Amino acid sequence: MSFFDSFFQQLINGLVLGSFYALVALGYTMVFGVIKLLNFAHGDFYMAGAFVGFGALSLVSGALGAGWMGIFVAMLLAMMAIGCLGVVIERIAYHPMLNAPRLSILITALAVSLVLQNAALALTGGQYTAFSTDIGFGGFEVGNLFISHNQIILVATAAVLMIALELGVSRTMYGRAMRAVSIDKDMCRMMGINVAGVIAVTFFIGSSLAAAAGTMAGAYYGSIWYFMGFLIGLKAFTAAVIGGIGSIPGAMLGGLILGLLESFGTNIEFIGSEWKDVFTFAILILVLVFKPTGLLGKSEVERM
Amino acid sequence: MRNIITTVASAVALNVAIGSVAMAQSDAITIGVQLPTTGSEATYGIDMLNAIQLAADEINASGGVLGKQIELSPADAACDPQQSVNAASMLASQNVVGVVGGYCSGATQPTLNTYGDANIPFVIIAANSTKLIPANPGNAFMINSTGDYQAETAVDFFESQGVESLAIINQGDAYSQDLASLTRDEWKAAGHEIASFDVVNKGEQDFSAVVSKIKNSNADAVFWTAYYADGALLIRQLRQRGYQGVIAVGDGSTSSKLFEIAGRAAEGVYAFANPIPAFLPGAQDFNIQYESEYGRAPGPYAPLSYDGLQLMAWAIEKAGSTDSDAIQQALSSAGGMEWLTGPISFTEDNTLARSNFIVLEGKGGEWTRHEQ
Repeated sequence: MSFFDSFFQQLINGLVLGSFYALVALGYTMVFGVIKLLNFAHGDFYMAGAFVGFGALSLVSGALGAGWMGIFVAMLLAMMAIGCLGVVIERIAYHPMLNAPRLSILITALAVSLVLQNAALALTGGQYTAFSTDIGFGGFEVGNLFISHNQIILVATAAVLMIALELGVSRTMYGRAMRAVSIDKDMCRMMGINVAGVIAVTFFIGSSLAAAAGTMAGAYYGSIWYFMGFLIGLKAFTAAVIGGIGSIPGAMLGGLILGLLESFGTNIEFIGSEWKDVFTFAILILVLVFKPTGLLGKSEVERM
Repeated sequence: MRNIITTVASAVALNVAIGSVAMAQSDAITIGVQLPTTGSEATYGIDMLNAIQLAADEINASGGVLGKQIELSPADAACDPQQSVNAASMLASQNVVGVVGGYCSGATQPTLNTYGDANIPFVIIAANSTKLIPANPGNAFMINSTGDYQAETAVDFFESQGVESLAIINQGDAYSQDLASLTRDEWKAAGHEIASFDVVNKGEQDFSAVVSKIKNSNADAVFWTAYYADGALLIRQLRQRGYQGVIAVGDGSTSSKLFEIAGRAAEGVYAFANPIPAFLPGAQDFNIQYESEYGRAPGPYAPLSYDGLQLMAWAIEKAGSTDSDAIQQALSSAGGMEWLTGPISFTEDNTLARSNFIVLEGKGGEWTRHEQ
């Protein structure tokens, strides 16, 4: 394999990985934008989404088969269910604390994460569950490059979801309300915007995107377990920060950048893959040093 | 709401009451059990705890040890060095007579000091990094074969397959890194080539970058030295990308779950294994009993865990008291007896005197014994 083959292969690898990071990062960034909360439970919505998607797939696979058709339906069901879970958790755990000190609500988010993780541990007995599907391993061979059908479907699905979100936020009334709430909640209330409703919708969308990523990851990689949300939660948070937390295009960009960095980082000659994370996070530090608000983040001026 | 609170409160009160009754009944022999029962390795940890409970029930049913009942005190090490030290300190403060357990080498290593300072006999069931040997203050006994035995088995096996260039992947923890570097050194010493030596993060599901790298390097064989869940994903992704070479996994990957996750890709994959239940001639009864008790087949470390507690009980009985030094004396003199996993006797370093590794091959969705 030539250098170029290897380069393009890692580019494809990075795009797939980055799509997952981006989908999860979106939820982080939306919630942060609206209520300034780092929702550390977000990775666990991804995990819960994978489990619900798995259950839904076994329900619909009789009628639709366990190919991509069935997976899409299962994914939509998981998005609905986890979206609702997100709204319920926001109501129970975060809503009463919206005016509490920022640290209290941060700790609440950690607690919610542990509750979800350990509930899943108790329900699954800590076992890995094989997410078996009928999706094949086929793909295109272009010279030495290999692109599987699954990778194309994944990246396309992620792109459709992200474009839909971007259109929703920039063109619809709810999207406008969401942007307004992220700027000034009190003023929105005075203008007659249903702030609680907007926050609920934000949680619904963010959580359902995580569920979409979880179901697709389960189907693509083939196994799910209760702890699968932890690492991706961390990575997605990093992606959101690189892109500029609070910025939706930033989360997408950050996710892709992180995925690409990790793929290329594995293949740097002369230094082994154990340096991958050093490389990735060194770039995170550089980004933050030169642009503390992230690549696409807006600088916020605190007025007194 | 009030109802729930009352119920919870009374449940807590009841628990405390029961707890204090148990405390008052001090003529039981308490054995600490340090295992990861939550976190990433909970599957193995819970499985091992089940097997230990089975052993305890059997011992208690036949009259206990020194005429007393055995009581287990489980402490969750979570496969995390910090949490395992907390667990060890908790057990030490309970004045347990002995401790059995230890699954993750990385999390077991720091607890050696805690038990050493408290002079508590410690039977290490599964953790088998060679790094544990110099860190052992003398009170710990390893009943699993250490990593260097496995590295030898691996090198012999790869040579028998005509492999010249080997790719090794580990997860950077004490166990998988130890096995990976031991194998690398022995492989180089045998005059062969290392195609690549990679580290991946635990819990990362996407191995595409490493897979591309291995395909580029034209390695004849891939050796995965870490645990099964991520290993299964690696195997899938290697085969999906059309990797044709030999794939072998270490003893952390011998769970039958590997086949569920990796599917057809796991056919023809080799594994180096400790005496896992299906291949132990004497374990039929144990397997049946375990399944009827817990509703699932015993995992790869269940027999060693069962033996761990049986060995501890035997040593206490032989020592004739709960005196720590006498128990350690008894443990180091172990030998000449046939346990579930075979004979157990210790070297000067308190490691298992013989290698217990076998080579397995994935066939028809399960492990079969590979005869070289």
